[in-house]
Amino acid sequence: MTMNERLKKIIVEDLFLEDIEPEEIDDEEALFGDDGLGLDSLDAVELVVQVQKHFGVEIKNMDEGRVAFGSINTLAAFIEERQ
Amino acid sequence: MIPIRPVAITGVDCLCAAGLNLSDCMDSLFSGRRNCSSPCLFSSTHPRPYPVFEIRDAIAGTNINDLINDRVNAREHNILRTSRLALAAARQALENAGLDRDNLKGKRVGVCMGTTVGSAMNNEAFYSHYREGNHPDMMPIKQFLNSNPAACISNDFQLSGPCQTVVNACSSGTDAIGVGASWIQSGLCDVVITGGADELCRVTYNGFISLMIVDSSPCRPFDVNRAGLNLGEGAAVLILESEKSKRARNKKARAYVCGYGTACDAYHLTAPKPDGDGLRRALADALAISGRTASDIAFVNAHGTGTPDNDRVESGVLHDMLPDVPFHSTKGYTGHTLGASGAIEAAFTVVCLEAEKTPANIGFTDPDPELPSSPQQHMESIKGDFAISESLAFGGNNSVLVIGKGALRT
Amino acid sequence: MRIAIQGIGVTGGFGNGVAGLKDALITGECMPDTVPVNADNGSIGISGGMPGEMPVFTADTAGLKSFVSPRLLRRVDHYSRMALYGSFLALKDAGDPELDRKRLGIVIATGYGAMRTTFLFLDSVMETGEDQHASPIRFSNSVHNAAAAHISILLNARGPALTVSQFEMSFPSALVTACQWLAEKRVDAVLVGGVDEYCDVLGYCRQRFFGNSRCPAIEPFEFDKQTAIAGEGAAFFLLSLDTVNGSGYGYIEDVRMGNIAREAVPDNACLFTGADGHKKCGNAYKQYLDKTMPVASYAPVYGSFPTATALDMAVAGISMKTGRMFASPETSNSDSNLNIIKTEQSRSDRKIGCLKISDRGEYSLIVLGKD
Repeated sequence: MTMNERLKKIIVEDLFLEDIEPEEIDDEEALFGDDGLGLDSLDAVELVVQVQKHFGVEIKNMDEGRVAFGSINTLAAFIEERQ
Repeated sequence: MIPIRPVAITGVDCLCAAGLNLSDCMDSLFSGRRNCSSPCLFSSTHPRPYPVFEIRDAIAGTNINDLINDRVNAREHNILRTSRLALAAARQALENAGLDRDNLKGKRVGVCMGTTVGSAMNNEAFYSHYREGNHPDMMPIKQFLNSNPAACISNDFQLSGPCQTVVNACSSGTDAIGVGASWIQSGLCDVVITGGADELCRVTYNGFISLMIVDSSPCRPFDVNRAGLNLGEGAAVLILESEKSKRARNKKARAYVCGYGTACDAYHLTAPKPDGDGLRRALADALAISGRTASDIAFVNAHGTGTPDNDRVESGVLHDMLPDVPFHSTKGYTGHTLGASGAIEAAFTVVCLEAEKTPANIGFTDPDPELPSSPQQHMESIKGDFAISESLAFGGNNSVLVIGKGALRT
Repeated sequence: MRIAIQGIGVTGGFGNGVAGLKDALITGECMPDTVPVNADNGSIGISGGMPGEMPVFTADTAGLKSFVSPRLLRRVDHYSRMALYGSFLALKDAGDPELDRKRLGIVIATGYGAMRTTFLFLDSVMETGEDQHASPIRFSNSVHNAAAAHISILLNARGPALTVSQFEMSFPSALVTACQWLAEKRVDAVLVGGVDEYCDVLGYCRQRFFGNSRCPAIEPFEFDKQTAIAGEGAAFFLLSLDTVNGSGYGYIEDVRMGNIAREAVPDNACLFTGADGHKKCGNAYKQYLDKTMPVASYAPVYGSFPTATALDMAVAGISMKTGRMFASPETSNSDSNLNIIKTEQSRSDRKIGCLKISDRGEYSLIVLGKD
């Protein structure tokens, strides 16, 4: 499973996106905000915990979070740089 | 909303990290002293410790369990710390009101207490033993079933009357006082024991840290560098009394509950609505019910937790609705005591009205340009007969109390 | 001004909605499901070798999807879904009236709160033993007032919202405040309800406290036997001050708490008790109930849980509307000759008292009447 696939699976399962499958998430799609996946601040802090748990990479605050959580690609790059 | 006759507060007391009774707390507040430290009640694997406001006997360093034991007799050791805090505060407040068990007999006495942890079945030792497939000791469950804060107080004094434990997250203390006041105002009760209690616990410590709203240094309410809240523990109780009961023993009121407003943002589970819609309506209702306007208000004890969102929303609403009214947060002295905070802050508000001064907003040094209004940095004297104590809560509750000075002619 | 019940919304072991409850009351049969012990909280260990199954009256909230899109339910757990489902059903039952959402209050009673999510939050720390792995989504849904928050958001109810928790006395306590808000004109209408959920740890605790005896049904009037069967569910009511076109469910005439003397029960009333097979409360019911007044207990249809008192009141509302007193499903009463309602019969003009006594000697009485 590639990094992107792992991230999509984590997002669908740990953020309870019951109505879509991991494959349906586009690598460039905006994760937050009304267009795209529509995740919110509670999803953001959950994602911080899951990234630390699954990849051992710590996102210290929401400024770093905004950089990391642009899309699946930006998140994958953020993690790979710090692993 | 029908304006109400003010409800007399004839007794008040509280205990928290700032002091083991209300006068000790006010000494700490008026001398700008605070003592928070990393937790000693429990340990944690977080890489960095987060300061908390635990109750410890400041002098002897003994822990609350020893402190409370002398006030709460041995039989009560099978009840949880939150309810022991509630009982200690209730006994002190009744003493302050000059009421004892005999006075209460024959009276219609209600109990309304706010909590969060006090009603949660989250004993980690029990559960971790259970999930490993073993048979844990059932004592923690029995303790939980014996420890409903309002029921414990009602039981302890053998009272018969309405009894309610409010679990409205961080506004539970303010809401409990609002509900208790309506029982007096509607003639349901002669006396109401009301307030809030919450103990520090690992589960809420981990929960709030996971939400990334906890400051790793002592909290800085309304400051530009604020980075979150600190957790605390404590309890406060107010004794509310009907005019008839108060006059029968010619007891003077220390203060009055003049109005209570509450409204929801209906916006988000954990974030306050940016425009503060619920808080605005709760404030407007509280003022309308008390028959007061902004110009009557001497000061506001703000919720002021020190989180970026809460302080921004609150500053904006206070700027619009009470532009010339000074406000301060006392969370810098107590930490956020969750279900107890609304009651502890109401108790502080009573004393500030009596003492005609408000404490410094400890933790606030540099104004935040993004916030339209800033709190009073230093201790100030105040003039005026009315004050506001407000709470904003997870889930979008906003609750406001208007408290009036004791010397009011009703 | 009297406080009228405009609509009732229920979910539980009997099914969903007033129709589902009425059917179960008429047939008197409602079988609990069998739930594997320690299946649902994903805990690793088996629970100390306890027998693997337990009868539980479980609630199914699948029907909630006809009111709310799955996307909006994505972080909402079973506890909050039951409360949401009860609320939507109550509004629908009241004919979906036009309501000023700034003056619609919410009061929720719960004995145990969001139990499953509370333990799933503990799991998120215990699985790895790292406090940093605590799940914020689980934590924010584990607080008791999460259900009220979800209802407030999804119904855009921006009036007062309160959640109350004190085991068996939770619902009467919530009702006191709901009626108070209406009397002081703080709201135009209030959604008040009780909700509790079953979870694996609860099942384990019951086994440890009461043993594994498998009784086929709750025998509420066998006061010296332990026959309680766990249940879960929600019952919600839309209340408002008396309006001309009442729903027929009747009015809330009195809500009392404390130690209630028998005279508080209006004469010519029938009494729906909250007796639910817990031996510890048996004696108190035995002493309290008077031999002449018709009594019933409907716990055999939805099981035993702290806010089942709200379902008792739902049955009372249905009795008010239909003019019928439903047969008490289990009537064996070996040691005292109570006047148990054994067959369905006319309520005539009786008021209905819902009496609950807790195992700590707390009493509550709710009286419904009709003009």
